[in-house]
Amino acid sequence: MDNLLQVRDAHTFIGQFHILQGVTVNVPQGAITALLGRNGAGKTTTLKTILGLTPPRQGQVIFDGQEIQGRHTFDISALGIGFVPDYRAIFRDLTVAENLQIAERKQGDLARRQELIFGLFPDLKRLIKLRGTQLSGGQQQMLAIARALVAENKLLLIDEPTEGLAPVLIEQMMKAILQLSAETTVLLVEQNFAVATQLAKYYVIVEEGRTVKSGAMPDLLKDEATIHRYLGAA
Amino acid sequence: MTTIIGTIRKNRTQTITLAALILSFLLAIQGMETGDWIITILRGLSVAAVTFLVASGFSLIFGLMDVLNLAHGTLFMIGAYVGWTAYVRPDTLLDLATPAALFFAGLLLLPLWDRWLSRVRLAPQAARGLPWLALALGVGALAFGFARYPITGWDVTVYDKSPVVFGVQLDLGQLDLPAPAIVGAEQLGVSMLCLFAGGGLIALGLTLLESRNRIAAATTRVPWRALLLALGLALGGLALFAWNDALTAFLVAAGTTWRFLIAVIVATLVGAGLGALMESTLIRPLYTRPIYQLMLTLGLGVIGREVVIALWGRTQMQMPKPALFNTIGQGCPAQTIFDALANQCSTISFMGSRIRTYNEIFIFIVGVIVLIVVWLLLQRTRIGMIIRAGVQDRAMVEALGINVRQVFTFVFALGVGLAALGGVLAGPSMGVSDDMGESLLLSALIALAIGGLTSFPGAAAGSLLVGLLQQFIVKYGQIGIALPFLEQPFKPTPPLVPASTLLLMVIILLALPNGLFGRKE
Repeated sequence: MDNLLQVRDAHTFIGQFHILQGVTVNVPQGAITALLGRNGAGKTTTLKTILGLTPPRQGQVIFDGQEIQGRHTFDISALGIGFVPDYRAIFRDLTVAENLQIAERKQGDLARRQELIFGLFPDLKRLIKLRGTQLSGGQQQMLAIARALVAENKLLLIDEPTEGLAPVLIEQMMKAILQLSAETTVLLVEQNFAVATQLAKYYVIVEEGRTVKSGAMPDLLKDEATIHRYLGAA
Repeated sequence: MTTIIGTIRKNRTQTITLAALILSFLLAIQGMETGDWIITILRGLSVAAVTFLVASGFSLIFGLMDVLNLAHGTLFMIGAYVGWTAYVRPDTLLDLATPAALFFAGLLLLPLWDRWLSRVRLAPQAARGLPWLALALGVGALAFGFARYPITGWDVTVYDKSPVVFGVQLDLGQLDLPAPAIVGAEQLGVSMLCLFAGGGLIALGLTLLESRNRIAAATTRVPWRALLLALGLALGGLALFAWNDALTAFLVAAGTTWRFLIAVIVATLVGAGLGALMESTLIRPLYTRPIYQLMLTLGLGVIGREVVIALWGRTQMQMPKPALFNTIGQGCPAQTIFDALANQCSTISFMGSRIRTYNEIFIFIVGVIVLIVVWLLLQRTRIGMIIRAGVQDRAMVEALGINVRQVFTFVFALGVGLAALGGVLAGPSMGVSDDMGESLLLSALIALAIGGLTSFPGAAAGSLLVGLLQQFIVKYGQIGIALPFLEQPFKPTPPLVPASTLLLMVIILLALPNGLFGRKE
């Protein structure tokens, strides 16, 4: 089992606050890994640390065999990491088409991938001329994931994809993520424990900025004490 | 129809503000003769165009990078001085072109260094010290070479040889350029070599600095295109030197219209270059420290003004209008625009008064062209798309793998280039002086506050309002406003011109805290 991404003992500060105090994450190639933990545990900061948006002050981030900590965000991303932030970050002034085009890294990326993208999210085809402001929350979430698929990324960092969505849309989103995980490795932050357990093959739990447990998802499901202690779910 | 009503309902305050603006505009028109208000509007449009050139650049830079570039007024002024030089002293321009070409040819060696560096491994100590050594040597060589290069200039300390005199001479049609400066062949060769080497060493320093924190992507191909371009630039620079006298004579004979065109292009390019240089060297390290940034741009503005005074002298200089807009008599003032173009008239007679072709028509047309071109750039090109996205969420644009630094440099160059273009355009109508930038920066800031700080249409609308208001107040200062409870008509005094725009800004911001086109943050 090869790890596509490894975060080793990362310490990240935001201002004076020591947010990550030793996060270690292994993301095996070709599967979904769920990053679990309570609100404010440091899950989003972990994703930002990987991308260099909040660079780690200590520790290593190794992607595809090379150390990437300390590099510019655009250099890191260009190595093949797609990002779907929790706030979706759809560009308001751009149309849906432009929101996709902007993610092209090589000319013609979108043309090559549009079959895949519109296969996963047929709705987007209908909305292609609308502006970012005119989309509903679910549509924005689809667009945010679609945008991360335009370039050929080896790894997707997806933050809270089902947050605030209606149950029907959650189903649809889960199907889409499962489908795209067939060809891309995914590191998923998910508050909804039921969703996370159905999607992910591996898990990592962070608590107060530290990795406290990790392993295969089926083992976690048997370990009720851990679930109760760190996730507060049952 | 329903959608229109819906939009109006949604933006009620905007609609009321717009109606109030139109109403007060109609009221202002009522107090004047038809000819008067049409000319006042034309003048307002011209002021608006210059204000827009400064405001739009400022707003692009602020919108994308959150940098309040307080040096923008100074850069506008520098544009005017550079344009003046290209216009009045083509010999100086040509003398400066050769060193500039050689220096940039040296800089273009950058990809070659890049390739070389990807093959050698430097010891850590060397990697720390070498970039700064190369940069220091480069700057030294540059200064050494430039000081020894023959440049036919002027002398601000001697009145007969000062820039002011050349401006007056050109205005009278008696431009008398000084004899070209000449140095020995040996000094010339050394100086040229130093200029080229200076560029090359600075390129090496920059490459070394950049390579310290970079992904080791080995560039294996020889950068032929850059090398050919460098060779072409160097040869071009040498050719300019070889035919310097002939080209000077040609430019003098070509007349003011063509020289003005050249001046506009040169000033805009120099402005863009200054902008790129400012961003990549001084602003870039300070993106996370807004207060320092503010101090920096404020200081740069002051320094820039002092440098201009040192180089060109303190007095206001004349920049005569290009011949295309400067003929008096011989069928002038013209009756129509076409006559005006055919006879190169300075004015068109219109309902008993005169419209100045340069001030009231040409400047406005250039303003509109720039508006359209920048709008198309923003809406139709990939870089425009990245800018629009970056204004909203810079981090996400980076997370898509887009090198935002390059976009920042581009936008800074674009913004400063627009300001410099405004400066050279304003030169013939406002006169060229070292304080021309300050009042204009203030007008531009007011226009932006009115329009919404980071909105491009807002910059245009705000500039329009500021320009029109200023000119209406100026006009009413001459004819007076008949108010019912006053015996004498009220005549606004000149200080009321800027004050009125501030008042307008206060009123609009009270109604719409984010300006006309601004978004709630």
